[in-house]
Amino acid sequence: MIDLLTLSIVILAVCSLFLPLFQVLRKPTRNLPGYILAVVLAAVLLLLGDYSLAPQKSVWFGSLLASDQLGALFAIVTIGVTLLVTVASFNVIKSLNNPVYYSLLSFTALGMLLLAFSQDLLMLFVAWELMSLPTYVLAGFTKNARSNEASVKYAVIGAMSSAILLYAISLAYGITGSTLISTVVKGFAAQPNLLTGIAVLLFVAGFGFKMSIVPFHMWIPDAYEGAPTTVSTLLAAGTKKAGFIAAIRVLLALSTLYVITQNSIFSISNVLAVLALLTMTLGNVAALTQKSMTRLLAYSSIAQAGYILIGFVPFAYSPQSAAATLGMTGALVQIVSHAIMKGVAFLAAALVIFELKRGDLNAFSGLSKRMPITALTLSISLLSLAGVPPLAGFWGKLLLFLSVVNGPYGWLAVAGILNSALSIGYYGLVIKRMYMDEPETPGRAPEPFWYIVIFAVAVGLIVGIGIFPQPLINFASGSVPAIFPK
Amino acid sequence: MSFVLSLLIFLPIVGSPLVYLVTRLNKRWGISFSAAFAALILVISAYVFWEVFTNTPAIGHYALVENYSWVNFQFFGLNYLLGTDGLSSPLILVSALLTLLVVIGSRKLIDHHEPEYYALLFLFEGAIMGVFTSLNLILFYVFWEIVLVPMFFFIGVWGGPRRKYAAMKFIVFTFVGSTIMLLGFLYVYFGMHFASFNIPDLSGTIPTDLQYLPLLASFIGFGIKLPVVPFHTWLPDAHVEAPAPISVLLAGVLLKMGGYGFLRVSIGLFPTASFQYAWVFMLIGIVSMFYGAVVALLAKDMKRMIAFTSINHMGFVLFGAFATVVSGNLLGIQGAIFQMFTHALAVGCLFMLSGYIHHQAGTREIPLLKGMRITMPRTAAILVLASAAAMGLPPFSSFLAEFLVISAGISAYAVTAISVLVPVITAAYFLWMIKRVVLSSPEGAASVHDMTRSDVLSFAVYLIPLVLLIVFSFLILTPAQPVAQYLSSLARPP
Repeated sequence: MIDLLTLSIVILAVCSLFLPLFQVLRKPTRNLPGYILAVVLAAVLLLLGDYSLAPQKSVWFGSLLASDQLGALFAIVTIGVTLLVTVASFNVIKSLNNPVYYSLLSFTALGMLLLAFSQDLLMLFVAWELMSLPTYVLAGFTKNARSNEASVKYAVIGAMSSAILLYAISLAYGITGSTLISTVVKGFAAQPNLLTGIAVLLFVAGFGFKMSIVPFHMWIPDAYEGAPTTVSTLLAAGTKKAGFIAAIRVLLALSTLYVITQNSIFSISNVLAVLALLTMTLGNVAALTQKSMTRLLAYSSIAQAGYILIGFVPFAYSPQSAAATLGMTGALVQIVSHAIMKGVAFLAAALVIFELKRGDLNAFSGLSKRMPITALTLSISLLSLAGVPPLAGFWGKLLLFLSVVNGPYGWLAVAGILNSALSIGYYGLVIKRMYMDEPETPGRAPEPFWYIVIFAVAVGLIVGIGIFPQPLINFASGSVPAIFPK
Repeated sequence: MSFVLSLLIFLPIVGSPLVYLVTRLNKRWGISFSAAFAALILVISAYVFWEVFTNTPAIGHYALVENYSWVNFQFFGLNYLLGTDGLSSPLILVSALLTLLVVIGSRKLIDHHEPEYYALLFLFEGAIMGVFTSLNLILFYVFWEIVLVPMFFFIGVWGGPRRKYAAMKFIVFTFVGSTIMLLGFLYVYFGMHFASFNIPDLSGTIPTDLQYLPLLASFIGFGIKLPVVPFHTWLPDAHVEAPAPISVLLAGVLLKMGGYGFLRVSIGLFPTASFQYAWVFMLIGIVSMFYGAVVALLAKDMKRMIAFTSINHMGFVLFGAFATVVSGNLLGIQGAIFQMFTHALAVGCLFMLSGYIHHQAGTREIPLLKGMRITMPRTAAILVLASAAAMGLPPFSSFLAEFLVISAGISAYAVTAISVLVPVITAAYFLWMIKRVVLSSPEGAASVHDMTRSDVLSFAVYLIPLVLLIVFSFLILTPAQPVAQYLSSLARPP
């Protein structure tokens, strides 16, 4: 019997390769490639869901890829986000090149799927590039100056992060003689010296660019603002999560064994804690002053990466403790719910930008009168991002803050809570604009059918997870053991 | 297991979209439907109140308890735990009563976006019921936060000229307070080795050294809500800008969340620390009382004056609660609970009245309103009666509440007898306001109109219970006694 996961990979690969043929046919194909990709992604999602009901260990291609629950969690999230982006693109991407657009989306999805299950640094790097390269093109897909600038900026920074990552991998290979993650981890633990320390920091930097962690965040607002907003959605809710799975696979596994620096000031947990503090504070403070919706969401996305990093800290500090389980579960719950709420917030912004042809915050004034469904959806997702219960965003934050509230990193919980309180300032301001200000130009704007479907699904998930978080928390806490190296 | 409390929470929340649809279809049907729906919820809450009165739960126990597992993984557990006692049952009753009166009062005062307004009203009511009945800290926090959302929209969409500023200020202040409060809860849970979030399991078991920081956190959370000086600055803005019916809910229900939190969580969970720092809380209470009274004296806007009266009256709640902690004199907590009930009705009545006066005369400025006894005799009569209730003039039972609180305060520290001056100042500014507004002669031919007879009837609903309660005070004080005993015994172990 064929492995369900192998089947998913093959389907996606075939889809990616054959979609551009529609371009060759040179006939008006309307949205056919998009529909095909949506169906394929939905099928892959079903296969993954079927797999995760009864996860079983399987290893492919030597030991380059292996399936576990953690990988399944990330695969479901990233494929789900790609599906949302695909459906949202039906109305927005009308150019003749759309077969290429959907093919690039498909390649990115394939890259993220492979990344989720990678067990080897080289496989991880290949998947990383497979995921990243198409997004450089996608970011510049609308052929205007801003979009191109975003694309170039993103490509340059992306290439740099890949280079750093590759350098870290080469150091790892030099030190341990292997690229298998579990061997590398044990090898690092065996010889703690300056070189391994540098390799660890290079890993932090390499993954940090994708995870949008301060000080590797500076490309984020420009790229998100310049790229077509549907592509920004993919970057914020999809590829960013892929950065997190890579960091979890390598860095956290490393921290479980690489204990020599635990008592020093440069221990992995201290580095992560400081990065978390900087990331959430800078993200929130910068978001307060933004004039453009996509930039605001970009900074909010940086802040959320900071919250997620909080969960890594107790794990890196003492992986066997109860706090570590809470923190990692919280981080995974937050990653899943962040993908949903940030995804839908970006898509709502995408729709407004598409319909009203402008993306500054003034465009959102009085939106409740012009696009009531979009305004309601955006409000719910923003409240959820702020962590207002009973919405999905609350549970991740609850577990994250709980994991560090008492102990050496108590200050991180205080900082997190204060940041969370600060964030209501800008989220509330957007809601205030939509519901309490008057629109600059009156009149209803259309809200396409496919967007209403997406909004309904996403709001259902946000509220549903908020009221009944048990299944998600179970799935997330079941994924935690996979982080420990075998 | 009983399901009445869940009904009380989820009937309004589930009914809220229904109210939206009906009101959208036809405005008048919608308002009648809302009133009938609110009356139904009032009946259920009256049943809860009666149940607690007749079968008062024993000391440290709760009535109508519901307990289900909600979130559970490994060592982390959350329960959906509801229950009520003599502390929450009066608040449940008065919240349901005020919601009904607000629906009735809103039909004249709210003139746009009615479907959303009435739907949010019931979302608010359900969340409030959740706050007053939750016995799990996280569940409590969840409902506590849901309350913010409708209130944010109430102030920002239906409010006065500076509504947007007031709404933002409100949400930022209260959200900051509540997140800090949540941090305190998490601190306790972590410190207790993930034992429980349930209030009955936690009270009396938290080690003393774990009590100080959470007490401070809860003080910030509840203090902002109550509000106490110096966290009160959001309240005058919110009250002045909110539409009158929403001011009724703000003063009558939302502020009670703070008082309830102080009694249930601050004293109930952190009694030893509360005992040690009780004098601080009493001092803050007295400062709030005097501050509210003195600033109210200077206020020109009638609504602003009533808003500061709220700070003044809520100071009594804090003062009385911690007077019992110090002295063991049960009258303090009983008086605080009684004060919350009477304040909700008396000040609720005044706020609604200020809305009517604004509607009828076009202004709320005290110096501009003149000769009301001639131009609006019915309104003037209600204003005099409601003012008498608010200043604690017998036979209105607010007198009894303040009397109980002050006597408990004296048994704690004799010097607090100075608080007797607060009702004096309160009487002074109300009487001065009545002199200027009611007893003056009318100026010019301002086009004003009086309220109708049926409006008078709706205002009587606020005032009649206040008179009756001075005789039937045992309805609230008797169920409150075990609560006071329990909290006092926690704070002052024998």
